Amino acid sequence: MRRLLRASVFPVLVILLWEITSRTGLLQFEYLSRPSDILLAGYSALRDGSILLATWQTFEAALFGLLLAVLVGILTGTMLGLSATTEKVVGPTIEALRPIPAVAFIPLSLLLFGFGLPMEGMVVAYACVWPILIATIGAVRGIEPRLLEVARALELPFAARLWKIILPAALSRINVGIRVAVGFALVVAVTVEIIVNPRGLGYSLILAQQSLRVDLMYAQLLWLCIVGYAINAALRTVKMAQPAIHVGGRL
Amino acid sequence: MSAGTARVIASKDGAAVAQTALEVRDVSLVFNTAEGKRPILDRISFDVFDGEILCLVGPSGCGKTTILRLLAGLLQPSGGEVLFEKSRVTGPSRERAIVFQDYTNALLPWRTVAGNVALSLEARHIPKDQHPGITAELLTKMGLQHAAQQYPNQLSGGMQQRVQIARCLAQQPKILLMDEPFGALDAMTRQALQDELLQLAAEQRMTVVFITHDLEEAIYLGDRVFVLASNPGRVVEKIDVDLPRPRSQLETREDRRFLAHRHHLFGLLQGH
Repeated sequence: MRRLLRASVFPVLVILLWEITSRTGLLQFEYLSRPSDILLAGYSALRDGSILLATWQTFEAALFGLLLAVLVGILTGTMLGLSATTEKVVGPTIEALRPIPAVAFIPLSLLLFGFGLPMEGMVVAYACVWPILIATIGAVRGIEPRLLEVARALELPFAARLWKIILPAALSRINVGIRVAVGFALVVAVTVEIIVNPRGLGYSLILAQQSLRVDLMYAQLLWLCIVGYAINAALRTVKMAQPAIHVGGRL
Repeated sequence: MSAGTARVIASKDGAAVAQTALEVRDVSLVFNTAEGKRPILDRISFDVFDGEILCLVGPSGCGKTTILRLLAGLLQPSGGEVLFEKSRVTGPSRERAIVFQDYTNALLPWRTVAGNVALSLEARHIPKDQHPGITAELLTKMGLQHAAQQYPNQLSGGMQQRVQIARCLAQQPKILLMDEPFGALDAMTRQALQDELLQLAAEQRMTVVFITHDLEEAIYLGDRVFVLASNPGRVVEKIDVDLPRPRSQLETREDRRFLAHRHHLFGLLQGH
């Protein structure tokens, strides 16, 4: 509670100063709304549901892309991690594709899928797949070889080996990659919306800017800040909950 | 044929009468290293009889773990062959359970003790509703009934090794291959586990191949003891241990015959 109080001293001061200076006319800048106007714009956007709908649309695309990336990343990463030969054959191609910025695929994705959720999701997936893939390869390669021998000694078929030994053993390290990807997902989704896709928070932002609703634009920025903070906080709880799930530790 | 008679026949008359579980025929193993070919094992031959406890003892680097991995099917020989019940070993089989020395690495840290044992049952496709009963019985046998819901890293080394043995028993093997299973344990725990193993082997008429670098452990447990020498690994002595069973940590180790074996083999181990 104390920490919260101390942390809020600075922003509260800034906002107060901002409000006072803009009301007294000390601060005159066309594209800087008053904090009170921003709050009002945000309140009405919340009330008419437009900002919530936009948030859901952005979330939807980010989640779709993230899930796709998790699926592809873990599957491919496991194959590459298990077989050194596959890694030698496919690895260089991956290294060549990885540096391409995800947003560079917006034009292609637009051609392939048109406007809407799929095109946005694909670009998000492209951005998110790399941290998951890299983490999975490392995780699978780092599995205690003795565990794989136990699986062989028990004559576990491949599917059981994957499901009962490899994935659980690699899970905590794969999670690190997924957490990084979650951060990417929101950033890329909003970017795609700002650049081209007419949906979600990014589009609302650019729309507010173009119609000179500066107060609404600031309100949406504030909202994005709150959403991002909430996601990070949620991820931190997941991270803290993890040792309790894997009492086994040593992973 | 009961374990008792198998042991008597094996120790009196060797291969002629007893059934063989495993046959090792002229097995060689060469590793290709950067400096060229390195022979690890050189034309090793021996039989493992049904129901016996065979101990392989040797200095580190003599290839005793390698022999066990060949018996398990985790490794293939460069020359010669390993036969299990007359057919050639080409890979691992649930009929030959392996107890690894590094129990910490061999147990699934994300599964409870009961879950680790159940892995073998899952591998055998035993219906799920039968798992609790079988698991509880095995854990009780290994003195782990109170630890069923604990995770491996919450247990002592001796308890963890008991879990691994319980998991091996759950796969209902015909032969137990043990790679220095008690090597990392303190002396007290080691003796307790030695006696538990002997009791288990007697009850279940289990065939056991036991690797150790501890000569006294080998004599105490074994019906037969093979001494290995290194560079390349080979068998330099085979003895029958004519000590009565059940064995006892006090009396057996003070027995004249125990000391005589120890004397004889100690010299051999020092000489190489």
